[in-house]
Amino acid sequence: MLTVKDLKKSYKSGDVTVAAVNGISLSLKEGQFASIVGRSGSGKSTLLSLLGALDKPSSGQIFVDNQDITQLHDKDLIKYRCKTIGFVFQSYNLVPNLTALENVMLPMEFGGISKEDRHSRASLLLDQVGLSADKQTRKPARLSGGEQQRVAIARALANKPKLILADEPTGNLDSQTGTMIFDLLHNLSKSQNTTIIVVTHDNEIAGKTDKTFKLSDGKLITKKS
Amino acid sequence: MNPVSRGIRNAFRNTSRTFSIVIILGLSIGLALAMLVADQSVNNKINTVKASVGNTITVTPAGFSRFSSVNNSLTTSQLAPLSKLANVTGVEESFTDRLITIGSNTNLPFGNTKSSATTSLSSPVKLKAKAGRRFFYVGGGGANFSPANFSLPITFLATNNPNQINTGNLAIVSGKMINANLDDNQALVSQAMATKNNLKVGSTFTAYSTTLSVEGIFSNSTQSANNTVVVSLPTGQAISNKSGVVTSAVVYVNSLDNLASVTNAVKNKLGSAADVTSSQQQANQTVAPLDSVKSISLYSLIGAVIAGSLIILLTMVMIVRERTREIGVIKAIGASNGRISLQFMSEAVTLTLMGAVVGLIFAILAASPITHTLVNNSATSNRQFGFGGPGAAFRAAGPRFISGGRGAGGFLRDNFTNIHAAVGWSVLGFGLLSAIVIAVIGSAGVAYFISKIRPAVVMRTE
Ligand SMILES: Nc1ncnc2c1ncn2[C@@H]1O[C@H](COP(=O)(O)OP(=O)(O)OP(=O)(O)O)[C@@H](O)[C@H]1O
Ligand SMILES: [Mg+2]
Repeated sequence: MLTVKDLKKSYKSGDVTVAAVNGISLSLKEGQFASIVGRSGSGKSTLLSLLGALDKPSSGQIFVDNQDITQLHDKDLIKYRCKTIGFVFQSYNLVPNLTALENVMLPMEFGGISKEDRHSRASLLLDQVGLSADKQTRKPARLSGGEQQRVAIARALANKPKLILADEPTGNLDSQTGTMIFDLLHNLSKSQNTTIIVVTHDNEIAGKTDKTFKLSDGKLITKKS
Repeated sequence: MNPVSRGIRNAFRNTSRTFSIVIILGLSIGLALAMLVADQSVNNKINTVKASVGNTITVTPAGFSRFSSVNNSLTTSQLAPLSKLANVTGVEESFTDRLITIGSNTNLPFGNTKSSATTSLSSPVKLKAKAGRRFFYVGGGGANFSPANFSLPITFLATNNPNQINTGNLAIVSGKMINANLDDNQALVSQAMATKNNLKVGSTFTAYSTTLSVEGIFSNSTQSANNTVVVSLPTGQAISNKSGVVTSAVVYVNSLDNLASVTNAVKNKLGSAADVTSSQQQANQTVAPLDSVKSISLYSLIGAVIAGSLIILLTMVMIVRERTREIGVIKAIGASNGRISLQFMSEAVTLTLMGAVVGLIFAILAASPITHTLVNNSATSNRQFGFGGPGAAFRAAGPRFISGGRGAGGFLRDNFTNIHAAVGWSVLGFGLLSAIVIAVIGSAGVAYFISKIRPAVVMRTE
């Protein structure tokens, strides 16, 4: 489902060039739940943003269902982000001026789903991630961190993506809530057969995934299957 | 939810900022609208003035001065070819002079009023003066001024078109109109003149030592007309012993379009003997100060629209920078640049429309004061057009004056008092249009900044 070949990304800051991702190759099958671990600055977020087409690699290829997304044009990239990828961030990144429900409806609007369907699907998703109906019409500022992350997961699922990318989704939460969020993602990958990649610092969480990639200085060091 | 409604909602996201932007924007739109109103009302006035002056050409002897009227003059035979020019509908010729009341005090503190032309009539006009001033005037407030045995010189008007005076603000109230072509020593006098001198229809009085009889009495409210005796042109020329002499003429042209060409034709016919002025020239002189008001208001209008555009542009740039992360997020979940720009455009339009409403209220309140301030400032800097200044009492009334025409000063003074600044539909429409233009300019710049935001910013924690 996902194949990455010799992926590189370097940033220039002044005279220094930082190779944030420095020749990574990996592959994942459909429905696999993988984790990426590594010290701070090892390139985890950079790798994720390349997989999600938020940024362009310096070199290398990313095949998603046999299509090289590094070769896509802007219009198709937007479509790829909208339809194929679901993102979950450490700092939730909900739109503050929209209610939980509206946040979940947002990617469906971009995906061209009709108005009526958006609403019913959004509230169904919020039910599934366990956000009670009275909280669905609240704005993010009036939800707890765990609740916001549930909304973010529902938003990531809105367009039925093939690949969910989560960058430290439990990083801002206490371990109990973190485990609940992790279990939520885990169940999803099993029930919907969705491929999921989670960046985490939590070894306990990493230990529960199908596959763990360990990053160091932009390179993969060990692989555990 | 769609980009437009999201934009509208976002416009109210930060209420205190929205409030201040709307007020600032409102002031600049309001200023633009008030300037538009000023521009429109001044424009209307200019057009009315130009339309009201009519299609006439005034011909006076070259270097003619009202105080040496008869020294320098035109003759009936010189003017004869004018009535045969193409597009000329008539030529009104007149002879004016000043008559001194027999036996009156002519040695006055403000100047000698000696003249060889005399009359048995006394002027009905009383002079007034303010204490300690050397200016004398007719009408208005102030104490009556009457040196011993004083009479204001009387205006003597001989015209070949006395009917014309009847169409103005002048009407025969007893007796009848004089015959314009006969040298029959018949005269018209004003009611005031008749009362002052105990005249009735058929009474007689003398002018240039000739006895004239009153054929008709007219009513009029102006002091100048009250102080005038009207006779036929042949009568006037005969009794003043100035055969064929004309002190001024008015050429009537069939349409405004032909005014310029006829004016040139008249100039060619008369050469250096006469000063030829068309009513349009007079009107242009009259409205010249208003033209400057027009350009001030036009520049302010443009300036205000530019200021409004800049305000909204900078505001939107600020908002976009503030929401960089949020824009990155919606890009990351699949929004296109166009869709995001549409959302911000809708926000900008909402802010500007609210600004336009505030602006309209401002314009309704301020349009009138602004228009009047502009016009009055230009009035003071063009005071030479003022009418009724010192010495007006000594100005002999010319034929144009008594026949209802008015000098440039009169027109301008009307302009100043009669300009109505009103906020109409066109202003409303313009307000809307300028708001949209401002919003589109403002958000167009923003579209560029939005397209520059990389979705990857969302990966960085704040
Ligand atoms: N936009 C950028 N410009 C310059 N350097 C960057 C940029 N983004 C990342 N880097 C650098 O690339 C390297 C990898 O960063 P990245 O954010 O991928 O690390 P990470 O593994 O996610 O770390 P953390 O666990 O702290 O989130 C770092 O050295 C970082 O300084
Ligand atoms: Mg990171």
